[in-house]
Amino acid sequence: MEYVLRTDGLTKQYRGFKALNDLNMHIPKGAIYGFVGKNGAGKTTLIRLICGLQVPTRGEYYLYGKKNTEKEIAASRRRMGAVVEMPSVYLDMTAEENLREQFRIIGLPSFDGIPQLLKLVGLSDTGKKKAKNFSLGMRQRLGIAVALAGDPDFLVLDEPVNGLDPQGIIETRELILRLNREQGITVLISSHNLDELSRLATHYGFIHRGGMVKEIGAKELEEACRKCVRLAVSDIGVLARVLDGMNMEYSIVSEEEADIYGDLNLSKTVLALAENGCEVTAIHERDESLESYYVSLVGGEEHE
Amino acid sequence: MSRLLSANFARLKRDKVFWIGLIVMFGSGAFSAVSSHMRGLETGYSIPLDHIFFTYTVFTGLLSAAFCSLFLGTEYSDGTVRNKLVVGHGRSSIYLSNLIVNSAACLSMDIFYLLAVSAFGIPLLGFFEKGIKPVAAFLGCAVLMSLAFTAVFTLLGMLIQNRAVVSVVSIIGVVLLLFAAAYIRARLEEPEQYDSYTYMSVSGELVTDEPEPNPNYLKGTKRDIYEFALDFLPTGQALQISGMTALHLWQMPLYSVIIMILTTAGGLIVFRRVDIK
Repeated sequence: MEYVLRTDGLTKQYRGFKALNDLNMHIPKGAIYGFVGKNGAGKTTLIRLICGLQVPTRGEYYLYGKKNTEKEIAASRRRMGAVVEMPSVYLDMTAEENLREQFRIIGLPSFDGIPQLLKLVGLSDTGKKKAKNFSLGMRQRLGIAVALAGDPDFLVLDEPVNGLDPQGIIETRELILRLNREQGITVLISSHNLDELSRLATHYGFIHRGGMVKEIGAKELEEACRKCVRLAVSDIGVLARVLDGMNMEYSIVSEEEADIYGDLNLSKTVLALAENGCEVTAIHERDESLESYYVSLVGGEEHE
Repeated sequence: MSRLLSANFARLKRDKVFWIGLIVMFGSGAFSAVSSHMRGLETGYSIPLDHIFFTYTVFTGLLSAAFCSLFLGTEYSDGTVRNKLVVGHGRSSIYLSNLIVNSAACLSMDIFYLLAVSAFGIPLLGFFEKGIKPVAAFLGCAVLMSLAFTAVFTLLGMLIQNRAVVSVVSIIGVVLLLFAAAYIRARLEEPEQYDSYTYMSVSGELVTDEPEPNPNYLKGTKRDIYEFALDFLPTGQALQISGMTALHLWQMPLYSVIIMILTTAGGLIVFRRVDIK
């Protein structure tokens, strides 16, 4: 698989505090990678490192195959755009002036792409209004437009919907999906808004205390989060035979437990098990969301 | 780096503090020339152009501190320095491009003062009494002094990531250094001995006191250190240049170059390692 970003044992230590601890991460090309973790887990630290704002204490990362210590990393960085924490825009400039400034920084020969970019982020009609008078959502979209100025292949967004109103959240989500689907831009989104992430992400990385707990594809996660009934029985072999006979989809979790998917006729199943001398010792309905999956990964008692 | 320079100069053209600085310097130059002419008319003693031509060197440090800290501070307060790093610009290029733009801005402000003082001063006060050669020499010192100031404030602006803090540190710093330079110069100007003087005693006799050595007069190594400090500090240079009187005219530009090299080299080394928030 081709990775846009790969980190290998990435560590960042601030005085006595390890913000990132031996983090390994893999972002496939074309993915919308949801980077999940609670506040202080290390999401922003990782983003600061890969954006070149800070230097790792240990470990390395590869951006488009170029190691962070190689000189060629600068060329890889030209393929990325980022909004780290708050949008980085000159507050005393209009949306167009901000984009002109970024075009100059990148060295683009003309400003022809600016109206198109403004249209893309829905800021075409802001005219001479300065960014300091923009709403948070407008600034966020301007920040994304600035990040998109060099036609990047990789977009990094740190908490892009933080502080946005519902309309702003919807607009930002649609923009990200459009960029990914229509322009094939790989997106890394860090967030602790799991519900919002679940509407976007094709891949997830769960970070806790600076370390990667789990990387998983959206389909795999969906499987893991499917609604099911967990049955605990005295004989797992009998349960398997009965479920096969009923043509039910299931997965055996342990020697006593199995998760059964789809619409289960409980009475019929229990009777069939009883006829075969198998007792049902417990029944739980399981409806795992991304949130409960995350909690199960990092430990519920520690989750905010 | 040309791309960063292009972006920085475009921002400079729109920068309010820069335009205010230009206007203030032009106004100061014009006011200085006109007020000197008026004073000359009132007192009957004409003030030569030489006396006011370099007055700006005393306050250019203050203006430079305010401009550099606000211009660079915006990069941190608005977070836009990140846009440069994210797209692959090197930290050295970012530092040097900022230094170049700051230097150009501060020199432009100086030039505006000189243009105004020349445009109003030459017709009203006449040409330089000391001739063009010493003026050219002091002008060279003033340019390098201004660049040294800019190098110091660029260092502070690039390393202190808080616009309010860097503004306060830079402005208070330059004021303190101005006071320090004024104190050093006052100490160096102490006479070696008090002149003899004659007075009438209570009994009506005329008494003549012999010259007495001044205990505050600086001698030996201590005097050398004070002289070095006055020549080395940009604020000390400013005081000397403003009056077109220098202890060691050819050492000042050398010290300015040393300050520029040391602050820029130090700034580049530290900025390469500093964590950007």
